[in-house]
Amino acid sequence: MTASPKSVVFAVTFGIAFCVIYVICTEVNLPLFTYHPATGDLGPLYQPPGRGPAMYWYGWMLTALLGALVLALLATVVPERWVQRAIAFAAAFAVLYLIVYTAALAAYEGATIELDFLKDRLWSVLAALAGAAIVTVLVPAPWTQRIWPGWMWVVPLGAVTVTTYYLAPYFTR
Amino acid sequence: MVFWTTLLILHGLLAITLIGAVTHQTVAVWMPVRSAAGNFVARYRAVPSHSYASAIVVLYVLTFILGAWIYTHYRYTARLALEQLRFFKVVGAFEVKEHLAVIGLVMLPAYWCFWRQPLAADYAEARKHVTLLLALLIWANFLIGHIVNNGRGFGS
Repeated sequence: MTASPKSVVFAVTFGIAFCVIYVICTEVNLPLFTYHPATGDLGPLYQPPGRGPAMYWYGWMLTALLGALVLALLATVVPERWVQRAIAFAAAFAVLYLIVYTAALAAYEGATIELDFLKDRLWSVLAALAGAAIVTVLVPAPWTQRIWPGWMWVVPLGAVTVTTYYLAPYFTR
Repeated sequence: MVFWTTLLILHGLLAITLIGAVTHQTVAVWMPVRSAAGNFVARYRAVPSHSYASAIVVLYVLTFILGAWIYTHYRYTARLALEQLRFFKVVGAFEVKEHLAVIGLVMLPAYWCFWRQPLAADYAEARKHVTLLLALLIWANFLIGHIVNNGRGFGS
């Protein structure tokens, strides 16, 4: 596989970074601005609903856009193999965190003694970081190089899955 | 009301055009025909898939902009009514739609790069999968939009 043009590095990194940051923004509610459609007012960052509902969607997009632009520009100035490694690390971290935290919650539910620390996300984050670091070091460079454009559909698919999953209460009430 | 209805119809027409283009391209890239085209299905598969990329990008962006604009009106009119009617599944479906639309939008730069001429063999697999996912997102958004519109009823 030949080195990717800078435009491809930028576009792929931008797409992946946007999806990740956007999912975080929707879950933690990090809009750069809030729009009140009934009055037409705009407010900085998060604003509670005033006269009528508040819309955060545009603010989430702007937050994700700025973050993704910064990361994508950064990706064009560092060696491509670093970008490929970083994306592999982030993907491994996301998958491992999901597995570890789900296992921790299952263990907490099934335990006969109080294991409150299992509910603390920090331990799952640390375990996932360690696991992702090991995976990233062990995976041969040709693999990360070969699969890296494929992240451009895997990560958005993951983002779709997560955002849809979090909207499940709408469909179960 | 006439203004927003006009925008909604334009949005729908653009979406239909976009669906036609992306479906054509997806079928052509996943099931290409090598021999001379015969019946309708074979001719459908035989189109030069790369020729759709720019049109799909432009149509997607235009459809998105119109949708994002209409959303401001939907949020404090139709949605409030849907909530009062306890049509939570319809409201939830629209929430899904807003996320799918954004995710599809940010895939476009990479999608466009993958389809630039001459087509790079290194991106052949990514090109196929990105195109398929984009097509699925567009189809899902179209169907959800249709359902949400039906939830309230045109002009009600």
